[in-house]
Amino acid sequence: MNREILPVATGTRTRRAVRELVRPHRALAVAGFGTLVVGTAVGLLTAPLLGHVVDLVAQGRAADAVTLPVVLLAIVAVVQGVASAVGVSLVARLGESALAQLRERFVDRALHLPLDQVEKAGSGDLTARVTRDVQVIAEAVRTALPVVARSALTIVMTFGALALLDWRFLLAALLAVPVQLHTVRWYAGRAIAVHGEQRVAVGAQQQQLLDTIGGASTVRTFRLADEHVARVRRRSSAAVDLAMRGIALLTRFYGRLNVAEFIGLAAVLITGFVLVGNGGATIGTATAAALYFHGLFNPINAALALADDAQAATASTSRLVGVIDQPLPPAPRVVPAPVDGSVKVAGVGHSYVPGHDVLSDVDLHLVSGERVALVGASGAGKTTLAKTIAGVHPPTRGSVALGGVDLDDLGPDGVRRTVALITQEVHVFAGPLVEDLRLARPAATEAEVTAALDRVGALAWASALPEGLATVVGEGGHRLTVAQAQQLALARLVLADRPVAVLDEATADAGSAGARVLEQAATRALEGRTALLVAHRLTQAATADRVVVLDAGRVVETGTHAELLAAGGRYAALWQAWSGTRPTRQSPVAAPRVERSGTTS
Amino acid sequence: MPAGPTGREVLRRAVTGQRRHVVAGSVLGAAHQTGEALVPVIVGVVIDEAISTGASDRLALWLGVLAVVFVVLSLSFRHSIRNAERASHLAAHQIRAELTARVLHPGGGAETGRLSGELTDVASADAQRVGAVNLALPTATAAVTALLVGAVSLLRVSIPLGLLVLVAAPGLLGLAHLLGKPLERRSHAEQERAAHASGIATDLVSGLRALKGIGAEAAAADRYRVTSQESMAAAIRAARSRAWLDGSMLAVTGVFLALVALVGGRLAAAGDITVGQLVTAVGLAQFLLWPLSIFAWVNGLFAQGRASARRVAEVLAAAPAVSGTGGALPSPVRGSVRLRGVSHGTLRSVDLEVAPGELLGVVAHDPADASALLRCLGREVDPEAGTVELDGVPLSTVDPADIRTAVVVAAHDADLFEGTLAQNIGTGDVAPAVQAAAVHSVAAALPDGHDTLVSARGRSLSGGQRQRVALARALAAAPPVLVLHDPTTAVDAVTEVEVAAGIRRVRDGRTTVVVTTSPVLLSTTDHVVLLAGGGVVARGTHAELVRDDETYRAAVLS
Repeated sequence: MNREILPVATGTRTRRAVRELVRPHRALAVAGFGTLVVGTAVGLLTAPLLGHVVDLVAQGRAADAVTLPVVLLAIVAVVQGVASAVGVSLVARLGESALAQLRERFVDRALHLPLDQVEKAGSGDLTARVTRDVQVIAEAVRTALPVVARSALTIVMTFGALALLDWRFLLAALLAVPVQLHTVRWYAGRAIAVHGEQRVAVGAQQQQLLDTIGGASTVRTFRLADEHVARVRRRSSAAVDLAMRGIALLTRFYGRLNVAEFIGLAAVLITGFVLVGNGGATIGTATAAALYFHGLFNPINAALALADDAQAATASTSRLVGVIDQPLPPAPRVVPAPVDGSVKVAGVGHSYVPGHDVLSDVDLHLVSGERVALVGASGAGKTTLAKTIAGVHPPTRGSVALGGVDLDDLGPDGVRRTVALITQEVHVFAGPLVEDLRLARPAATEAEVTAALDRVGALAWASALPEGLATVVGEGGHRLTVAQAQQLALARLVLADRPVAVLDEATADAGSAGARVLEQAATRALEGRTALLVAHRLTQAATADRVVVLDAGRVVETGTHAELLAAGGRYAALWQAWSGTRPTRQSPVAAPRVERSGTTS
Repeated sequence: MPAGPTGREVLRRAVTGQRRHVVAGSVLGAAHQTGEALVPVIVGVVIDEAISTGASDRLALWLGVLAVVFVVLSLSFRHSIRNAERASHLAAHQIRAELTARVLHPGGGAETGRLSGELTDVASADAQRVGAVNLALPTATAAVTALLVGAVSLLRVSIPLGLLVLVAAPGLLGLAHLLGKPLERRSHAEQERAAHASGIATDLVSGLRALKGIGAEAAAADRYRVTSQESMAAAIRAARSRAWLDGSMLAVTGVFLALVALVGGRLAAAGDITVGQLVTAVGLAQFLLWPLSIFAWVNGLFAQGRASARRVAEVLAAAPAVSGTGGALPSPVRGSVRLRGVSHGTLRSVDLEVAPGELLGVVAHDPADASALLRCLGREVDPEAGTVELDGVPLSTVDPADIRTAVVVAAHDADLFEGTLAQNIGTGDVAPAVQAAAVHSVAAALPDGHDTLVSARGRSLSGGQRQRVALARALAAAPPVLVLHDPTTAVDAVTEVEVAAGIRRVRDGRTTVVVTTSPVLLSTTDHVVLLAGGGVVARGTHAELVRDDETYRAAVLS
């Protein structure tokens, strides 16, 4: 399948989006950076004050003379500390507010993306953006932003202070800059590539460990231990090699910065030597200049080492903005209300790949409240038909109407208010159980939630959880069985209370004993709704109002269970094999095919 | 299997296994710190001997020395870090491989009481933390060296000034540590709360289909907004704590420098030390804060390393669940399986016999009976009472590795692994197995057929596809005794019929047990036994049991 990854914003658009995020917090930005500027400026008084002490000593002044500058030094330190704390706090508030807004917009937009588009991109794309990209940006805001803000100010203002001492000191210090700029350019590009590869390698190693350890009993059963240890070794070695490449790069980066440090420090010392020699500066000034430059080592290293973080955060932001900028599908201005729970599928065809039809000419009519079971082999098109009726895939040909209104006229919101879909991928949402269910109806009372659980036969175990309905379930919480998770999905269906429900293989993974419980739960959850269910166990078909047999994308049989049994066609053959009423060792699929026209109603 | 190591041994082996890198990293780290300490000393000397006097030859000499110092410190830093990091990563790698081998050992037992996520954590995070001790050792050596060089240099400048710095600096750091501790704790707690938002977002996105199925997008977005705002508030509080912690460190350091300047200035004014020495003292005072503060960090690494080494050792030393006592299976295995008075879990003294070549169906009214039976048959455990025999040999005497060549229990939730479809099924003559499990239609629906890559745990396949591939693998393994558990629950009704016939065909003449309630599968068996209340309550053909047994009908046909 060819992937169409989700869009990525351009650099210009990303910068504009960041400005838009910061704009509402302009006052905060001014206050935060203003405080940092004051703090840094005060901090820069340290070097000249020390220089002054040196001068006083060099001039042979009395020992008490040094007290005043020293007291000033202490005051400077305290003011600098306070200003830095206040400034960094304010900048953090700015960054966190913008970050929260960014991720909220992203999640909101991501949840509203058409499922079709997400599936074409592969769900990994969206998951990667919501985890890694948000993480990278948060990391940058939390660790890099304060360091860069403070370091950048220190660097700029130190250069300013050097100029105030003597413009020639500034010139000397600036000799280091070309080396630094070159180094950071050299490093950032390579670092992003290596760190990217490293993340992938560590992810692969982690995945392999999960795969191997999680499947340990399978590995033992099939005696694959040696191969799996080799796999873990291989993945782990690859991760180690990449980590070492990252370290090698980092140490070379610092090596180059050391060259810059030496050039700058030597130049400042030589300048001091010349200026003191010709009376252009005092020893104290030369000392201050040397101290200034020595004091730059750490901030410069810190700021430059974060260059790749900043670049990675920019790339991540553009991936989030790309999704945020996706236009919402236009909602029809007047949404016609479905008149009942009927479903009408007319001449529907569907193909994922042009020319390769998964569904062809399907006509199907479900009257309000009818329960229809879809039966057929894998690949017969059951899931595609279910998804088409639920509005996930727009049909390539033909039309689907719910309650007499065409899907297109209903619009995405209208479709969601009319039809509910449960697929075989069950998910338990992390958090208290009651909150999981309230996703289906946010205003649901405790009594309504309890009633829904009761209806699907889940109340007994749910109440018996350690903290009842308040028990935290899902990722990192209490683990539910597959059958329990599917019961929750059915309880959500009850709460969502849509007139039409589509169930696709919702009992498949639960094992045979669990399947029976789930079938009963599904029956109760579907009471009073029009239902289309992809039948897995034929008991589901037997209790349905009508059975539709699909083969190679076409409806080949339709009728009640009794009618189809009497007709002696494919369904009858299946049923016989299934119910064991005619024990046989030969495959009943070989029974003569009874093709019937696929029309109904 | 020999008894596993203790935590201390794990730690010791991690270090000694990489001792060359650890020693190199330590020596070079010490050289680097010496260089760093010499920079402010040389700056002081340049001010004293060149700038104050105007002696250009001294300037050239000392700048040359400075250049040499930079070269030395730069190169030693580079190779110190590389050696230390390599030692740390390689040690972690070694532990990871050992842990994996232990978990996969045929005797099992390492997973007992541990979730696979926890074990994965031990093999990744804990292994990393044990390895990090190799990073901590060179760092500690370097810091001690820096402290010694700095102290000697300072004491050479002036004994009282040196003593002041060496006493006051640790005191101040201790104070800052004390001040910082509650702030740090709070900041840590808030950071964890802040990380919650990303967890919730990931969870919502992975449940996207479920959300969309019930039209809950808006409700989910609203819920996320609340979490995100709470996280934001927590993150801001965390940042504020951290900012005040850093701010107070900045202030304390500044006041400390003022103190050094005060004492140094008075000494210089009194002529006890030179101006350059004053500059050196100030520079060294600043420099010494690093090695002093690094000790807390190194200590933390050691503590973490010790705790992680204990966790690693617990897994490595876990007792195997089963082991052999020298019993040997006949060759070839005929495949006669007999349970005598087996009690385990919910099973109560079960007697059961499977004749060589028989296809036996087992219907368990209670899933717990089924899983207890499967665990005993595959010898994941030895039954609490009674014996399981294969060709008359009690399984409890046979090496578990040998049993796995004779008996394969294909679990209901068996995992697939990363690789192609074909690689998952196995090598050799797999065509009949592929045919029997109806994998051809799985392959036909995939872009590259049998060469389609399957993602980890087979997640890229649907439940039904996964189940058929796993079944094909079990059939392809062609063991003398095959036990299948619910092999067709996720397979559609049409295919199930095909698969049932396929199992019969492929396993013809070899002992096969199918634990299931599917009437399609049961109708192809030779005999069926019904387990209820922990014991065998009925035995017969499927047709007989359907006709005569009410419990059986309820279990199979409802």
